[in-house]
Amino acid sequence: MASSSPPGNPPSGLTDRSGSFFKLIDTFASEIGELKREMVQTPLTFDKEPMDLQGLEAEVCGVYLQSPSCAGLGGERDSGYDSLRRRMSVLERLTQTHPVWLLLAVSEEEATRILLTQPPGVFLVRKSAALQRKILSVRLKEDQSGTPISHLPVRESQYTFSLEESGISFADLFRLVAFYCISRDVLPFTLKLPEAIASAKTQKELEEAAQLGAGFWDSALCSQRRTFPRACRPLSRTLSPQRSNRNREGEESGAHCDSAPPTLRSCASPPSFRLERRHSSGPLCFVTPLFLQTHRRPLRCEDDPPTHAVRSDEDLENEGKSLKLSSSPGIEQHADKVKLNSKSRTPPPRPPPPRSMPRRRPAPPPPGPPAATTRPKSMPVAVTVSPRQQPTSTKRQAPARPSMGGKQGSPSKTASPPILVPSNPPPPRPKKPDLESHRCHIALDDETIAKALSRAKLPPCQPTATDALLEGNAGSPSTPKERGRQRLSDMSMSTSSSDSLEYSHSPGFSLGLAPSPSRHLNHQNTVEDSSDDDDDVDEDDEDYGVSLETDLEMRHRPSFKARRRRVGVSLGGGPFILPRALKGRFRKVSGMLSSLMTPERRAVKRIAEMSRDKSSYFGSLVQDYISFVQENRGCHTSGTDFLQTLRQFMTQMKAYLRQSSELDPPLESLIPEDQIDQVLEKAMHKCVLKPLKSVIEVALHDFQVKSGALQQLKENLALAKAKRPQELGVDGAVPPDPLAIEKIRHKFLNMRKMYSPEKKVSLVLRVCKLIYTIMQDNSGRMYGADDFLPMLTYVVAQCDMPQLDTEIQYMMELLDPSLLQGEGGYYLTSAYGAMALIKNFQEEQAARVLSSEARNTLHQWHRRRTTPRSAPTVDDFQNYLRVALQEVDTGCTAKTLMVQPYTTTEEVCSLCAYKFKIPDPDAYALFLVIEGTRQQLAPDTHPQRIKAELHGRPCAHTFHFVYRRIPNLNLFIPAIMDNGNCIQVE
Amino acid sequence: MAIRELKVCLLGDTGVGKSSIVCRFVQDHFDHNISPTIGASFLTKTVPSGNELHKFLIWDTAGQERFHSLAPMYYRGSAAAVIVYDITKLDSFQTLKRWVKELKEHGPEDIVVAIAGNKNDLGDIREVPMKEAKEFAESIAAIFIETSARNAVNVEELFQKISKQIPPLENHEDEISESFKLSRQPAVSTRRCC
Repeated sequence: MASSSPPGNPPSGLTDRSGSFFKLIDTFASEIGELKREMVQTPLTFDKEPMDLQGLEAEVCGVYLQSPSCAGLGGERDSGYDSLRRRMSVLERLTQTHPVWLLLAVSEEEATRILLTQPPGVFLVRKSAALQRKILSVRLKEDQSGTPISHLPVRESQYTFSLEESGISFADLFRLVAFYCISRDVLPFTLKLPEAIASAKTQKELEEAAQLGAGFWDSALCSQRRTFPRACRPLSRTLSPQRSNRNREGEESGAHCDSAPPTLRSCASPPSFRLERRHSSGPLCFVTPLFLQTHRRPLRCEDDPPTHAVRSDEDLENEGKSLKLSSSPGIEQHADKVKLNSKSRTPPPRPPPPRSMPRRRPAPPPPGPPAATTRPKSMPVAVTVSPRQQPTSTKRQAPARPSMGGKQGSPSKTASPPILVPSNPPPPRPKKPDLESHRCHIALDDETIAKALSRAKLPPCQPTATDALLEGNAGSPSTPKERGRQRLSDMSMSTSSSDSLEYSHSPGFSLGLAPSPSRHLNHQNTVEDSSDDDDDVDEDDEDYGVSLETDLEMRHRPSFKARRRRVGVSLGGGPFILPRALKGRFRKVSGMLSSLMTPERRAVKRIAEMSRDKSSYFGSLVQDYISFVQENRGCHTSGTDFLQTLRQFMTQMKAYLRQSSELDPPLESLIPEDQIDQVLEKAMHKCVLKPLKSVIEVALHDFQVKSGALQQLKENLALAKAKRPQELGVDGAVPPDPLAIEKIRHKFLNMRKMYSPEKKVSLVLRVCKLIYTIMQDNSGRMYGADDFLPMLTYVVAQCDMPQLDTEIQYMMELLDPSLLQGEGGYYLTSAYGAMALIKNFQEEQAARVLSSEARNTLHQWHRRRTTPRSAPTVDDFQNYLRVALQEVDTGCTAKTLMVQPYTTTEEVCSLCAYKFKIPDPDAYALFLVIEGTRQQLAPDTHPQRIKAELHGRPCAHTFHFVYRRIPNLNLFIPAIMDNGNCIQVE
Repeated sequence: MAIRELKVCLLGDTGVGKSSIVCRFVQDHFDHNISPTIGASFLTKTVPSGNELHKFLIWDTAGQERFHSLAPMYYRGSAAAVIVYDITKLDSFQTLKRWVKELKEHGPEDIVVAIAGNKNDLGDIREVPMKEAKEFAESIAAIFIETSARNAVNVEELFQKISKQIPPLENHEDEISESFKLSRQPAVSTRRCC
């Protein structure tokens, strides 16, 4: 695919990209290039040919759910902020009201019941227990195919969500649904939001709907709205992926938008309503609502105030769109044409991960026309090409996704309302704008931002220097215009190369090491790299002023380092000072990076934030545990014991997060099912291991000293170090020379700085890879364990690092059990084995066998760590109690509560009242339901002890703790609800 | 098709060709889409089996006596063990018998054991009669096959046989029905009770 890179891409940049890894990056870059070309239909400079841009501008308008009432009332249209506020995007409406339509627990029957009373197009998302998949249930028209409801399974691939029959993938469920609200693709017609939600004018109205949850469907709100069908435009829901439509649309509305500057419009820019019928049966193209997010009119601030009524409406829509499609909840955001250059930020879009993408790219392309199949499926990627001012959005914290996004921390938020380049674009259109044109746009963007932000220090021409530097001695005297094209590839290059080269400090080995070996671990690497980025951002996030630069430097140091190594000639190896221009460039790069932030990273970030928030239940658990560990680390008998409790806590917290409702929106709607565990694991490392890293280190060291193991290890290490390779069993293969040993030592030292066991293991893998490379010595021979293990033992002995022992212990005990069978687990086991042999070197020399003691340890470890994981649910743990809230009208809701053994029922009740937000707690009580019989618990009993006793009984009955209304109060409880059965109903 | 990861450990004296067999198995029909492993001690290969895909995670062990004590770490949790001997070295067959014994005593209960007599291309200097090895294998209900890693004889077959003996996953409907239904409640629940 590299061959398909556009002509503008200078070949010189490719010369040293030897690995397939780089080819992938090239591919990525060239795809972006193509996309850019495809997307930009506007010729050359906008000020010369403004008319062409108007079309693009106009396209942005369609994604709004116009309030039907105002659709007919022209007078309201330009009533300023008020009308803007009303125009919330589909995505925003969906995100805010997910408790209404995202009903994962609802059964097919229930879904059918709900939808039958709804007009065609209304939908909900549930989860089928049998299929273990999410299902989109849609109300069909009466006359369609006999069945009133269609149930469409949602396919979850590694990074994306899509409908089973469609080739279009989305970063999360919200975007998927939003898309199908606008474009029907494989559906018979577009989805329709319930009227009350579609026509809501304020956030408050949405909140009201959301509060009802599933009850919405039976509520007056829902039915009342239904009785007033708005004939005009219930949804203006056309999002056309097709160029031709957009062109047409552009022509039609072009006249209103004279001053619209050229931009790289996303291909998903929505034309208006009337186009929907046309595109819906068109060829597949890769459109994600990601693209809907971030269109801004760059010169917004310079526009004349709208005078024409229609025009202003569109303006508003445009603004609103860029704001709202990014699903940002803030109401205040619209406020602000006025505060042009304050701290407006644009939500970076959230596409799948670029860095891991090339390696993890799923092999099978999505079914679809060639345009789609030639591109990796995992690329619903929108790339922020260039920053642009976004005057209207301010103070937005959660750009792409209100609650998960948290602080995106993209420095680019300040500077770059990004232009999006879909990486999986619509099929090529006949009309292909030349490259020149969009280069211009980029240049323009620079300027615009610079102006808008009053950042004169970043004139658009300066980036040239950066490009030259980044390109290294590429030698192509690139004109400024060409650079627009190159920049993308640079960005992806430097980003992507960072994690592969970052640790290989020897140029000699770096290439060999570049592609990290294991899939699992690759993933881990990548994400942890990212999470480190997050950390920088976490700290600097709030400050959008000066710290930006620092932030960027921090974020890009690794990639820059890598780059510098490669372009050593041009940089001359002197101390490198990042010039200002370069920083400006990096800001953009980083804008891109943050826009490429994966849903995983966002989720991890969100969880990490929650873990620091003591007002959340999860946060209080984590923080309490962390302070407990800090104060009481002495209470453990050994390092292993200590680490095990940590591991156990993390496992419990993962289980808790899976079941709790604290994450909102639920993780399941953002992360494909099979990724959730990994995401949670990563989050746990960040929440728990990161803050405790130094404590753990000290504790492990203390145990090692106290037990005398350290002394013994040191002595044996000294003995082993004196041995020649042959004496340790090495036979034939080339051992590493002292220089290589030094490199390996260096890697091990780096390993000590990390907190994530996965990332540490990835360094072990790098070391092993290096050893293999040396052993093979260009012979091409494949060495198995017979040769490798002795060599590894020799290397570990030569490194002479007693601290390695605790490092290995740390990894062995804390690594996610699911990784223990893979490559990381294998080499970790080998390292552990090598260390065990060295620790017992004297004995081994004497008896030639490992002491029985050491052997037993190994046995125990493996038994402990590899016994089939009977995934414990969180309520099995001693200090948790799962309590169901049983309500007359809404059925059952369960929560897992922290309940100590001596907590009384009374206390549990008040906890429940708080957690379930019960307004009249006196009317409720805690019941124990066993096998259909129900028994109210006295206030002074201890639920945990009851649970323990029940668990202890020889014949296990299923039992539940149910918090519910006391029936014989003067409240009517339907008999059917009175037997506890409904708990069993999903 | 669901991918099922199966840990397979390789046991046997040093020099009998453990890693050669696996290298042959993995490298024939090399799939470039699969990210290669860093070295030959740990290799993976995915093969279709019934309506599942079996991804073999192959753990090689060091055959030297001094590393013998580490073996439990490698064979724990294995779905299958391939014990390799060299048909031209009687000693290696004796070692194999010790491995079988150890696996019976300390290995996973339901481990599939496969015995591979390698270097089948060197039949003229054979020390271990095929009949004897085969009978031994039958006596312990193990898979038996003679292979030649050099000539790529029976390597593929060895792993096919293992694949066939791996019991299919029990229906995971069971798991679902066991779980407490309430736990399937979605997060939306918080909003319901106002």
